[in-house]
Amino acid sequence: MAPPTRLGALTSRRVPLLLSDVVSAAGSSRPNRSPLLKLLLTRPLLFIGGKGGVGKTTTAAALALTSADTGRRTLLVSTDPAHSLGDLFDRAIGSRETSLAPSLWAIEVDPDEQANDHLATVKARMKRLVHPKAYDEIDRQLDLARLAPGTVEAAMLERVSEVMALAGDRYDQVIFDTAPTGHTVRLLSLPEIMAAWTEGLLGHRKRSEHLGSALRHLGGGRVQGDDLSMLDAAVDHDPGSRDAQLSTLLQDRRRKFVRAREQLLDREQCAFLLVLNPDRLSVLETIKARDTLARFSVPVSALVVNQVLPTNADGTFLEARRRQEAKHLGWIDNEFSSIPRVRVPLLPGDVHDLDTLRRLGSWIASDGQDSD
Amino acid sequence: MTDASGPLDRFKALLEEFYVAPYRGALARAQRDEDDLFMLFVFAELMGVPNPAAYYTLELQPLLLERFHEWHRRQGLEHSPLDGFRCC
Repeated sequence: MAPPTRLGALTSRRVPLLLSDVVSAAGSSRPNRSPLLKLLLTRPLLFIGGKGGVGKTTTAAALALTSADTGRRTLLVSTDPAHSLGDLFDRAIGSRETSLAPSLWAIEVDPDEQANDHLATVKARMKRLVHPKAYDEIDRQLDLARLAPGTVEAAMLERVSEVMALAGDRYDQVIFDTAPTGHTVRLLSLPEIMAAWTEGLLGHRKRSEHLGSALRHLGGGRVQGDDLSMLDAAVDHDPGSRDAQLSTLLQDRRRKFVRAREQLLDREQCAFLLVLNPDRLSVLETIKARDTLARFSVPVSALVVNQVLPTNADGTFLEARRRQEAKHLGWIDNEFSSIPRVRVPLLPGDVHDLDTLRRLGSWIASDGQDSD
Repeated sequence: MTDASGPLDRFKALLEEFYVAPYRGALARAQRDEDDLFMLFVFAELMGVPNPAAYYTLELQPLLLERFHEWHRRQGLEHSPLDGFRCC
């Protein structure tokens, strides 16, 4: 695909000014120049996070395309409630895998659809057990549950865990374009909280089952109602199968949460990349994100410092901005000295063609060198 | 419990009952309390208690519907907090 003319200066090989300018602008302070970043970017699970508007979606798409170009089957997943992947690629992307390029597929997670499916399943199971007169009531209750706080979040977590399970299986690499930081941190902490919660419920089931089996040894069965005198005649109301189903459901849930948690913690499997701009608010939010992620034992693997002013951008106004920016870049280098970082220049135009995305992706993957 | 054919067997069975019955009652109560607590976790939202995992416990509710009536009576609720359920 021919690069659009407005990006010609950047993308044409004859004038490779911009990207190399940034390298010289960054000077000797460029840290950790090693194949480390490239290695990180080939982890089966890659999360791209950051403040709103810093270029997460573009970065994720660029890296996904670069990964797919090497023949790795790559899935790009947007979890932002306000999806923009479809806008970037100029085509409709739904909640099912949509092919974008050879070896590249994408999903825009729709938590509402997921929640509706989940509630429909519960409704159907309940309706098998109650009188048809109660159907309206069930519909009313469960429709309220759909609007309850936390439902969309839980549905999102369910879908994200499902998609995470595809990494290293149906796909060589799954890249998540996540929602702004707070939302993502919550998503990462949920598996731990939920696993603990199901663990607690399973504990109660186990204690009940132990008591039940001890009771059966003494010749009793499950007690119905208040009247414990009926003990001697206690009949087993086939709770066995019900109890077994309860435990199975809980164990399935717990297995999914624990698996998601393990994947997130496995540094060989999962890398977390934060995108930021060299401005004050963006740096502050990135510091907070790093600290919060550290509390959940999820380290930040790399930083993409996006939209750095190129040295050849001229004018006194831009000169002033550049001086300001230099302070922030220094701050970033100090604050994140132990994390591999790559600087990406501010581009003169929108990124919305595959060719520019490819160049951007290989720029990031090769640690800030225009490799092709 | 055991088939008592002779007077001695019947006596043995009675004696066994005499020792075992109190334990059986205690165990049955303990199990019931455990199950009630579990019901509370699953139906917490109905009692106005926020449930952090409401979305996930919803799928357990159909399995517990049959025990629901006895449970809400024991919790001091005369009628089902779910109006439409056939239990009352």
